[in-house]
Amino acid sequence: MALFSRLLEPLRQRMRGWMRKRQGDDPDPVVLGSRRIYILPTALGLGFAGMLFLMMIGAMNYANNLALGLAFLLGSLGIVAMHHCHRTLAGLKFALATTHPVFAGQRARFAIALINESRQPRPELELTDDSLTSEPVRLDAAVGEPTRAVVEIGHPAERRGKVRLDRFEVGTRHPFGLFRAWAVLHMDLECIVYPRPSERGLSPPPHETDVGGAQDGPRGDEEFAGLRPFHAGDSPRRIAWKAYARGRGLQTKQFAGTTVISHVFDWDSLEGLGVEARLSQLCRWILDAHAAERAYGLKLPGVNVPPNVGDAHRQHCLTALALFSG
Amino acid sequence: MNHFIRQLDDQTQRLLWVVSALALSLLPHVTHVPIWIVLFAAATAAWRIAAQMRGWRLPPKWLRIVVVVLAVVSVLAGYRTLNGLEAGTALLVLMAASKLLETKDRRDLTVLIFISFVLLFAALLYEQGLLQLPYMLVAVWLLTTMLMRVHQTTSRMAMGEAMRMTAKMLLLSLPLGVAFFVLFPRLPGQFWALPARAGATSGISDEISPGDVSELSLSSGIAFRVTFTGSAPPPAERYWRGIVLHDFDGRTWRRARGRFSTTPSVEASGPEYDYRITLEPNNRNWLFSLDLPTRWPVTRAFQSYDFQLLSPETISSPTSYRVRSHTQYTMTSDLPTMQQNMDTALPGERNPRTRELARALKTEHPDTLEFVQAVLQKFRNEEYFYTLEPPRLEADSVDDFLFNTRRGFCEHFASAFTALMRAGGVPARIVAGYQGGQYNPMGDYFIVRQSDAHAWSEVWVEGRGWVRVDPTAAVAPERIEQGLDAAVPEDEPVPGRFFGGNGMVLNLQLAWDALNSGWQNNVVEYNDTLQRSLFSNLGIDDIDWRSLGLLLTASLAVFFVALSGWLALRFKPRPKDPAAQAYAHLCRKLGSGNLVRRPHEGPVDYLTRVGTARPELRADLDELRALYVSLRYGPLPMSAQLSRFRFLVNRLKL
Repeated sequence: MALFSRLLEPLRQRMRGWMRKRQGDDPDPVVLGSRRIYILPTALGLGFAGMLFLMMIGAMNYANNLALGLAFLLGSLGIVAMHHCHRTLAGLKFALATTHPVFAGQRARFAIALINESRQPRPELELTDDSLTSEPVRLDAAVGEPTRAVVEIGHPAERRGKVRLDRFEVGTRHPFGLFRAWAVLHMDLECIVYPRPSERGLSPPPHETDVGGAQDGPRGDEEFAGLRPFHAGDSPRRIAWKAYARGRGLQTKQFAGTTVISHVFDWDSLEGLGVEARLSQLCRWILDAHAAERAYGLKLPGVNVPPNVGDAHRQHCLTALALFSG
Repeated sequence: MNHFIRQLDDQTQRLLWVVSALALSLLPHVTHVPIWIVLFAAATAAWRIAAQMRGWRLPPKWLRIVVVVLAVVSVLAGYRTLNGLEAGTALLVLMAASKLLETKDRRDLTVLIFISFVLLFAALLYEQGLLQLPYMLVAVWLLTTMLMRVHQTTSRMAMGEAMRMTAKMLLLSLPLGVAFFVLFPRLPGQFWALPARAGATSGISDEISPGDVSELSLSSGIAFRVTFTGSAPPPAERYWRGIVLHDFDGRTWRRARGRFSTTPSVEASGPEYDYRITLEPNNRNWLFSLDLPTRWPVTRAFQSYDFQLLSPETISSPTSYRVRSHTQYTMTSDLPTMQQNMDTALPGERNPRTRELARALKTEHPDTLEFVQAVLQKFRNEEYFYTLEPPRLEADSVDDFLFNTRRGFCEHFASAFTALMRAGGVPARIVAGYQGGQYNPMGDYFIVRQSDAHAWSEVWVEGRGWVRVDPTAAVAPERIEQGLDAAVPEDEPVPGRFFGGNGMVLNLQLAWDALNSGWQNNVVEYNDTLQRSLFSNLGIDDIDWRSLGLLLTASLAVFFVALSGWLALRFKPRPKDPAAQAYAHLCRKLGSGNLVRRPHEGPVDYLTRVGTARPELRADLDELRALYVSLRYGPLPMSAQLSRFRFLVNRLKL
C-alpha cells in the first residue's frame, strides 16, 4: 500500500498543480462553489454497484420484475446519495479563524471556521492537510453558526518562524459511504512558531528599568489612584466597569502602592551564544516572567518592546522572537 | 425497552439494529432453507449479542474458517450444488451467520447489510406477491438507515431522525426507479438455463376417478383469471377446456399418452372471443382456454389432435397468454379410424348392466343425437342427484352409480354418460376443465376457481364432428347457469358459501383480487410485449431498445436536473433581511467601479472610504450610511427609510 501510494505521488503532485492553477488562491472567507467539488465512488460504492449489477443480471435471467425493481430502486438511491454527498460540501463557507501559535517542536495547528449558511445540517465532514500521515479532523457543520476546526499538519514544526498551510482538503462520505466528495482549498493560512524555550537555569540579568509606585504613599498597595485609558493586556478585574456603563469608554483603575518592577530582556546581554540559543533563552525568560505576572520588555536588534504585562504583550514579544531575522 | 436501548453504547446499538435488519431480510427464507440453518443463524445472532453485552472475546480466526468450510460442505452435501436459488440462499444465510461471529467494525457491519440486501433480493425471486412490495420497501428502508448509521462517525443522530432522512432519500429515488422499471428494455427468454424448481401440482390432474373433481371443488383457490377484450360469452358457454381423457379402465379416465393423430378441420361460426388468461402456477403443462380455441400464441403453446392446448414447459410461475375462441363450431373431416377405435373402447368385462342399458337404448334410438337425448332424458327424469358429497362407488363404478347410488358430481355423470355412449358404439370422450367463473366488476375480469372444476363429454356426430354434451346440465341446469352454489344442496360445504350472503366481505374479496390481478398482470408480468403495447398506447409504435435507451438517458438527465435543483433549494442560505440585501446590492454596484469592499471593512468605514475616493457621490453615500446604520441598528427601522435606501442605491451612477 505504501509502495502504491509512493508510485502515485508524482500523479498527485501534478493533480495538485492542476487544481491550484484551475482554482487560484482562495479569498477569506471563501464559499465552495459546486464546480470545484470533486466526487468519486469509494471502494464500498464500487462494491455496491457490482452488487446491483449482479442483481440486475439475476433478475433479468429469472424474468423477475420485482427483483429488478429492487435493483433499480437501490440504484437510484445511490444516485440520490451521490447528490446528497456533493451537496453536503457545496455552498459551505470557510474563513480563517485565529490560529494559536505553537512552540518549535510542537505540531503546527491551523484554525479554520466552517460556516453553514443553509438550513440543512452538513454532517460527517473531514478536514485534512492532505499529507498522508495526518489523521483527518472529523466534524459536523451546524446550521448558521461558525464551527471551528483545527487542522494539524502531520509533522512537527521544528523551526521557529512561520509555517504555512499551502492547501487543505475538506471531504465527506455522507450519507452512506458510497461516494466521497472533496474539495481542495488554497487559503493563506499561517501559524507562528515560537522558538523552543531553553531549559530553566539562567536567570535574567537584574536590568531594572522602571521602578515605580514605591514612593506613592506609605499605605501600601490597593489604594485607588485614578483612571487611565485601557490597554490591551490589562486585567479585567481592574477595568472601571461603572465608568464604562456611563459611556466613558474602557478605563483601567490605577492603584497607588502597586510595585512595578519590570525587566527588559536584552539580546545583547546574551553575548557568546548563537542566535537560536539566544532566542530560546529570551523565550524562556518571557514565559517565566509572564507566569510570575511580572512586567517585562524586550530588546532585540531593531526591535524594542517597552515593558508591559498581559497575554497580548506576551504574544507580541514571542512573535517578535519567532520572526526575528538578524 | 427504549430506555434500555438508550443506555447501550453506540457499538452495541448498531449491532442490535443490524442484526434486526438481517432478521427482517432472513424472515422470508425461513420456509426455503433447512431448519438447522435458521437455528444456526439465530444461535450466532444470540451469541454475538451476548458477547457484545458481556464483553466476551470473539472466536479466533481458525475457528471462523472452520465454520465457513463446514457451512459450504454442508450446503454441498444437502443440495449437491452451490448453484441455483435454493443452494445459493442457504449458503448466503450461512455466510451471514458466520459473518456475525467476527463482526466488530464498520466494514463487517457493511458487509452484513449488503448480504441482507441480497437476501431480500433472493426472497423476491421466490415470490412476487403484492404483499411482497410493502415488505421489501420497509426492509430496504431499515437497511438503508442502518447503512447510514454505520457510516456515521461524528453526527449523533437519533434513530427516528435517521429514519426520516432515509425515508426522504428513498422517496426521492422512487421516480427514477419507476422510470427505469418502465423503460428498461425487457428481453424475451433467459440468459442461461437454471435448474427448474419442483413444486406441488395443483388443480385438475391428468386422470379422473369418481370423487376427484368434487374433492377439488372444495378448494376456493384460484385456477386462472380471464380478461375479455370485448364481450364475454353467456354463462352457459363458459366452458374452459383443459385436458381430454380417452382411456377408461372401468373406474378411472386417463389421457391418451404418446398417441398422435390428425386434427379434424374446424369450421367456426358465431362471435370470436378474444381474451387473456393469467394462469396461476400449477406445475402442469396444459393451458386452459374457452372451448374451442381457434388462435393461440404458437411460441407458447401447441394444440393436440383432441384440441388440448399444451405448453412446452411446466407452469411454475404465473403465466399469461392470449387466445381467441369460438363457442360454435362444426368439424368437416371424418374421424380417423385410430381415434374411432380409441374412443369407443370399453374394458371387457366391467360394468355389464351399463352395456345392457346402452344396447337397449341404442336399439330404440339408432340416430346418434336421439340416443344422446335419450340418455340425458334418463338423467333428467329419473331420480339422479347432483351433490358435492357423492357416496363411494364399487369397482364397477358406472353400474354402481347408474343403478344404486344415483348421487354424483359432474365426473360421475360425465363418466356414466361417456361409458353409455361407447357401449352404444358412439365415439365419446371426457373433457376436464372448468365451467363458469365469477365476474369481478372492479377489474372487469373473471375469476375461475378450483371450485369451478368441471368434467363433461364430447361425442362424435357424423356430419357435425365432436359435439359437447354436458350431462350435468341435464341434472342440475343451475350449475351451468349460476354456478356451484346454486346447484348443490344447502348443507354442503361449497367454498365461500359462508360469506356468500355478506355483500361487504364479497366486495372486499373482489377488490383485493382485482388489486392482485392488476399487480400480477401489470407489474409481475410486465415484459417486452406489455412494454411495446404501453408505448403504442402513448402513440409510439414499435418501440425498440434504442429508443428505450434514449428515453432512459433522458429520464436520467431530467432526474439529475430536478434532484440537484431541489437539493439546491433545500440548501439555499437563509434569506437575509431586506436592509442587508439592499446593502449587498449597493456593495455589488460600488464593487463594479473598482472600489471593492475589503473583507474586514464595515459599512461605515467602507462608505466613508468610497466617499473620499469619489467626492461627487459623497452626499448620497453619507445619507446611505446614516440610513443603513439606522436601519440595522436603530430602535425601530421604518419602511420609509428602507425605500429611501433602495431608491438611493438605484439612483447611484458610477
